[in-house]
Amino acid sequence: MRKVYAAIAGLLLAAAVFQMYLAAVGAFDKPQDDSSFALHTMNGMMIIPVLSLVATAAAAAAKAPGRQIGMTVLPLGLIIVQSLIVVVGRLFDDSTGNTTTLSLVILGLHAINGMAIIGVCEFVFRRARQLAWPKPGAHSQDAAEGRPVPAS
Amino acid sequence: MTTGQLMALDLLVSALTAAAWAGAGVAAAARRTRTTAALFAVAVVASLARVWSVLALAGAGWWFVQEKVTVALPFLFTAAAVATALAGPRVLRAARRPDADPGAVRAPAVVVPLLGAGYAAAAGLVQTFLIGYPADAGTALILLAVVAGAVLVTWRATAATVPGLRTATAATAVAAVLGTALVFVPAEGTAEAGTSPAAGGHSAAHTSASGAQEPVRSVTTLRGPAEPPPGGAVRRFTLTARTATVTLSSGRKVAAWTFDGQVPGAPITATQGDLVEVRLRNADITSGVTLHWHGYDVPSGEDGVPGLTQAAVMPGEEFVYRFVAAQAGTYWYHTHEVSDLGVRMGLYGTFVVAPKGAAPSGVDLTLPVHTFAGVTVTGDHDQPLVRQVPPGTPVRLRLINTDNTPHRFTLAGTPYRLVAMDGTDLNEPGTLGRVGLRLAAGGRYDLAFTMPAGPAVLRADDRSEAVRLVPGPSGTGEGTGESAGGDTGESTTADSGAVPGPDPAAAPAPGDRTEDWPELDLTRYGAPAPTPYSARDHFDRDFTLVLDRGIALAGGRPAYAHTVNGRAFPDIPTEMVREGDLVRLTVVNRGQETHPWHLHGHRVLVLSRDGRAPTGSPLSLDTFDVRPGEVWQVAFRATNPGLWMNHCHNLSHADLGMMLHLAYEGVTSPFHGSHGE
Repeated sequence: MRKVYAAIAGLLLAAAVFQMYLAAVGAFDKPQDDSSFALHTMNGMMIIPVLSLVATAAAAAAKAPGRQIGMTVLPLGLIIVQSLIVVVGRLFDDSTGNTTTLSLVILGLHAINGMAIIGVCEFVFRRARQLAWPKPGAHSQDAAEGRPVPAS
Repeated sequence: MTTGQLMALDLLVSALTAAAWAGAGVAAAARRTRTTAALFAVAVVASLARVWSVLALAGAGWWFVQEKVTVALPFLFTAAAVATALAGPRVLRAARRPDADPGAVRAPAVVVPLLGAGYAAAAGLVQTFLIGYPADAGTALILLAVVAGAVLVTWRATAATVPGLRTATAATAVAAVLGTALVFVPAEGTAEAGTSPAAGGHSAAHTSASGAQEPVRSVTTLRGPAEPPPGGAVRRFTLTARTATVTLSSGRKVAAWTFDGQVPGAPITATQGDLVEVRLRNADITSGVTLHWHGYDVPSGEDGVPGLTQAAVMPGEEFVYRFVAAQAGTYWYHTHEVSDLGVRMGLYGTFVVAPKGAAPSGVDLTLPVHTFAGVTVTGDHDQPLVRQVPPGTPVRLRLINTDNTPHRFTLAGTPYRLVAMDGTDLNEPGTLGRVGLRLAAGGRYDLAFTMPAGPAVLRADDRSEAVRLVPGPSGTGEGTGESAGGDTGESTTADSGAVPGPDPAAAPAPGDRTEDWPELDLTRYGAPAPTPYSARDHFDRDFTLVLDRGIALAGGRPAYAHTVNGRAFPDIPTEMVREGDLVRLTVVNRGQETHPWHLHGHRVLVLSRDGRAPTGSPLSLDTFDVRPGEVWQVAFRATNPGLWMNHCHNLSHADLGMMLHLAYEGVTSPFHGSHGE
């Protein structure tokens, strides 16, 4: 089960990295309109939340430490924050829906939070791998308990 | 506060609620007693604030709070009450005497209820973002199962034993299975109840609905006449769709899909009472092409919706459209096959009908505004279109928004009147000055003024100059029925005067910071006039369309769709009407994006926006912008039998499910296609 968990966590990380790629695809698409980010929206609102939930269930089934389970569901929470950043930023658009300085200041946080999501996914995957394939030696106990392990 | 702002505020409060409950749980697990107590207090206050934000939003209509009242708040308050009862006393005791037992807040009786309340609060957010309107028993059960499962996992992870774990797990699994079943079952139940799903259901559903009373007609028989009405002429045009590289006025070359190698396509003009005959040929547009007469109430068989009123015209094929030009005014035509891409790539043109008997006078410019390869173009001008006009000349500017999103126009240097919207004259339009005109995607405005002694400048979106009229001798190019896009030979005029670059001396006095100009409220412009029907009438049919986003099957594929009443095309039930019915449409926008609503084949009379009836001129529109949080009520008389699209004219939204059919009883379609998404 721990190997399944690690595999799903790997998929989650891959989906999060791919999400950045899709953001760039949308940003460079011309002419740019709502459909430019269709794949980005689809991946972000469907694939990543589902993977996050499935990974969390796998983490629970794999009897991972509580903190690890919590970290696994965190990408879903941060995705809600991603949506909120867009909603709040759009509030400050002008009447035709064009951005203003203030709305851009808020909307720019979408990228920062996106990096946080990748960071969390990367952390989750690293820990999940340590659970699945514990390094022989003293560190394995630490890893199982979610304590930091020195890189080797 | 506007409804749109209230919606955003409510989302923020609910996110804060979820974060505070979950944060309190995490802090407790980490033995941070004081942080736990502080976050617990924030969570309780935020939960109460949530009641206020939902109540405030409820004032805008039940549609805006349905899922919050029936699912989100019950979840939140059940979990919050349990958390307050179980964890509350322990947290407060630990906070008061932190030295007594530093590990007290780590007890499962504290951590599990706090985190559980966090999960329940987050479920409400997930409901709003991913499922949307309306909440039903199926999705509520699934959410309940997810929350319960998360609570059980948390409990199992923090406590040595969980009493009744097997029973609870089984109950959760049953809820999940039952919820999933319910989500998939109602789709068929609705169809049985008589409102047929659109896809493939036309023939059967309509036959049964009409029974023996009405003759069954195919939409292909609902065509225009072969001969013009007495006194009318035949106006013949041929449009050949093909790919081409077009040259914009700046010399920039753009790969495009064109009619006859030009963007926009040739302007189609007629006089009221003429028969318009347009032969559409397709040279090499591989996805196919059709012509839809936007805003024009043509017979249904001429409406150009592939898969519904005709088959798409494929390369080498042709289709002839014939209809009487009964309405005067400004309209446009565009392809309806892969319409989002097709229109963006250039398959559109202008259609202007002059009133019968009116002598052409002055300068009449038709100005389709389009975003082409990332730049805003007016006709084929990506630089300002410059014209010399003798002072005192009557000028009419026909603005057409061919994009997916609204444009804001300002006219500086002269007072003017907004004389027509969507081709229909307004009643007693007043003089306008420093205002912004927001034009919905697909909509049209006609502006009229007398050429002043100084320049008059039309700006789009407060950024780019679209048109600059300068006083001068009667130069080239004046006249009626002229299209900025059609007259490629006019580029000399544009080049001679259009050299970009600020000329302070020529700048019109009021022209500098147009972004500060307030937006004209169209519901208060002009004077009231009698209307053929009003909000007090009895409506034979009453349809409500609640627009939102959510996960739904769009075109058979699961997607984060633009939904109508929780569904995406083709799963949205067809609206059935009978000829002669008075029909009311209520369109509610619960989402975060503007939806320009467009019904084919009918103009609709605006009854109210956000509950307020227009106090100015009656508004007869074919495209109306429903902004986030807005509720529009419009009405029309069903006098144009056929099968019609009823959709969002942000065509990328239509692609993602936001379209449905309006069908007259007894009309069938032999086509079963993809309706031009």
